[in-house]
Amino acid sequence: MSITLKIVVAESSAIIRSGLEMMLKKLSGMNIKVIEADSADKLLELIRHNQPDLLIINPAFPGCFSLQQIKDESRCPDIKCLALIYSLMDQSLLRGYDDQINIYDSTDEIRHKLERLHEDEANESATDEQLALSTREKEIVVCVVKGMTNREIADRLYLSTHTVITHRRNIARKLQIHSASGLTVYAIVNKLVELDEIKT
Amino acid sequence: MYKTGEYRETDKMSDLICDNYPMVLVMSRFGIALGFGEKNIGEVCRTNQVDVYTFLKVVNFLATDVHEPITGYDTRLSLDTLITYLHNAHDYFLEFRLPNIRRKLSESLKDCPKDAAFVITRFFDEYAAEVKKHMNYEEKTVFPYVRELARGIKNPKYNITIFRKHHDQIEMKLVELKNILIKYFPGEGSNLLNSVLFDIFATEQDLATHNQVEDFMFVPAILALEKSI
Repeated sequence: MSITLKIVVAESSAIIRSGLEMMLKKLSGMNIKVIEADSADKLLELIRHNQPDLLIINPAFPGCFSLQQIKDESRCPDIKCLALIYSLMDQSLLRGYDDQINIYDSTDEIRHKLERLHEDEANESATDEQLALSTREKEIVVCVVKGMTNREIADRLYLSTHTVITHRRNIARKLQIHSASGLTVYAIVNKLVELDEIKT
Repeated sequence: MYKTGEYRETDKMSDLICDNYPMVLVMSRFGIALGFGEKNIGEVCRTNQVDVYTFLKVVNFLATDVHEPITGYDTRLSLDTLITYLHNAHDYFLEFRLPNIRRKLSESLKDCPKDAAFVITRFFDEYAAEVKKHMNYEEKTVFPYVRELARGIKNPKYNITIFRKHHDQIEMKLVELKNILIKYFPGEGSNLLNSVLFDIFATEQDLATHNQVEDFMFVPAILALEKSI
């Protein structure tokens, strides 16, 4: 399954920063967007603006106060933080980080760490066979492409609107299709509906 | 991987293009044509009456990987030049790029089941209409506002923050089209279809950087200008 992550790298050395970026971008099966921050004042603005999933930060990043402060001031409270470590470091300095990346880590080690963090987050971690739509989800796709509202779908299938919304979110995640017209293409191509059923 | 680093006006224009070929689009959006011989960036810009400072600012912004808002009022940036650049980019997407993809797409859908071809084409048309709406808003509302502002006249009913809040990511739906073609294309593959996919990948990238120029260069410049008036 392909994992999409937006990562801010806060590190003052350009060599380390771009080296890490190269490694992250080469990880197969992961679609990673890296945003580099080279100073503390830019960091907060970048996090606020991009709302990334992950922050990889050198604990000795100049002008960097505490993780909590970064989370508060950038209005991104759920961001996961990884410490970028050059050498042996006192564990007390690393409290608060979700994990750490050592500059001597191999590509595989980094991949495992990212995958683990990602799974923590998406605790409904989908395994491969779950990526096909369930019968219920297919029914919902059909309703959506016929132009029904969540309320109408809920009434038709005897579900709560809340459940319908959850199903729709899962459908979007599995198919990577978010718009109703995109779902229409999916439904037609996979023969879930006929064209004359949905022509408006 | 393209080369990164700052370009200067004494660098050769042909080196810039060969180092980083998407720059050919940037150049032409500034109104500069190919065939400039051995001239350097500064000479080519001056021959074409393009503000060198603004040209280099955009080129260097796009050539580096660090994309973050440029803050502070940069008085040397020519808003007129920047607007010309953005306007020509809009023209390129609406008048050339999207119609071109549309043509190739319908051609490659020729042997598909009719209903699938219909919904895929409709999806594309809806997308193109969205892009058009998005860009027309900038042309009709944002650019005139900025031109006035640059002359020192501030329209009390509008400010650039309104634009910034509504500036949505128009390349998202293109990603969806790409996914649909890759995962669910219902016919035989063809060279033409592959070429459509390549175009979509390139356009997605192009639109993303276009938006970055708007969000990180254009909008901050206007914000600073608003504060100074």
